[in-house]
Amino acid sequence: MRSLLVAALLASSALFAAEPVVPVQVEVVQASLKSGLVPESLKKMQTALSARIKYGSMKVQSTTQLKLSKGSQTVELPDKSQAVLSLQGLKDGVATVQVQVPPASATYTLAKDKSLYFQAGVHDGDDVWLVLSQPK
Amino acid sequence: MKNPAREKFLPQLSPYVDGELSPEERQQVEQHLQNNKDSAAQVADFRAADALMRHAIDLQADEVDWKKFADDVMAKVSPEELPFFERVKITLSEMYLYQRGPLVAGFVGAAVAIAITVPLLISFNGTPEGYANSKVAVQQVTVEEAAEIRPVVMETDQGDAIIWTIDAKEPARPTLGPTETDGGGAGPKKKQSSEENEEELTPKEKEGPL
Repeated sequence: MRSLLVAALLASSALFAAEPVVPVQVEVVQASLKSGLVPESLKKMQTALSARIKYGSMKVQSTTQLKLSKGSQTVELPDKSQAVLSLQGLKDGVATVQVQVPPASATYTLAKDKSLYFQAGVHDGDDVWLVLSQPK
Repeated sequence: MKNPAREKFLPQLSPYVDGELSPEERQQVEQHLQNNKDSAAQVADFRAADALMRHAIDLQADEVDWKKFADDVMAKVSPEELPFFERVKITLSEMYLYQRGPLVAGFVGAAVAIAITVPLLISFNGTPEGYANSKVAVQQVTVEEAAEIRPVVMETDQGDAIIWTIDAKEPARPTLGPTETDGGGAGPKKKQSSEENEEELTPKEKEGPL
């Protein structure tokens, strides 16, 4: 019985010592210069990108919620290629994440209620964007 | 001259006064007292002595200070209280000795409850782990050597960040929006750090080779 008690205590301490898990929401957005619909959820993105380009229509192709820890995770893009995400580190509550969308790769730190917009190529003549943010 | 009835009831007179007789015996004694004046007088003496004794006891009790009586009694009854950790230690050791199963189950249950509650609390407060920053900071952007694109990093006033991948042949723009850094063309791997984005530009944007 004593060993059971020790095992329970070890198990509980192991839970606390477990490696960090950082949730990330990845949206694949297709954006076109042609006028059309822009969902309310993408208005902020449209405004942010308008400094360089004014998209007339935008559409969320997929939304994936990942839990990043050890190893990498992938998100499929419209052209069947993959974006690869991996957790590089977690320090003082700030996670550093690497996102690879060949031929480009970026390393960035997450922020509360903020997004990283990563241009991820072209599909059917439209731009493809990755929107990496805190899960809603 | 001896009275046989009095001889018979004499041992019962004191218990009668003290109320220790059964109803039948009491009835018999009362009948005897009605017929025997000596026994009735003795009962009266017993009652008088009893009343006198009660009065004396009451007088003595009034003279005693009862204020500290309870404390004095409890001080003699209760041992000195042990320190808190000592009491916890004794309690746990007794539980481990006599109620081992419930104790282990309690520990396991508490561990499971904590393991479930902590992540829930973290998720309920709206900020999951890893999001302590107030704005996104791009630390590095690289592009494969053969790629004919170059990265442009831009940080918005709202704290978001944008990474554009533009044609390497596209000329650098003379004016740009919020904080922006341009990779400056294809070639060997290019790196861009957010530190470079912190130059005071309004709107915050930079462009040019790293």
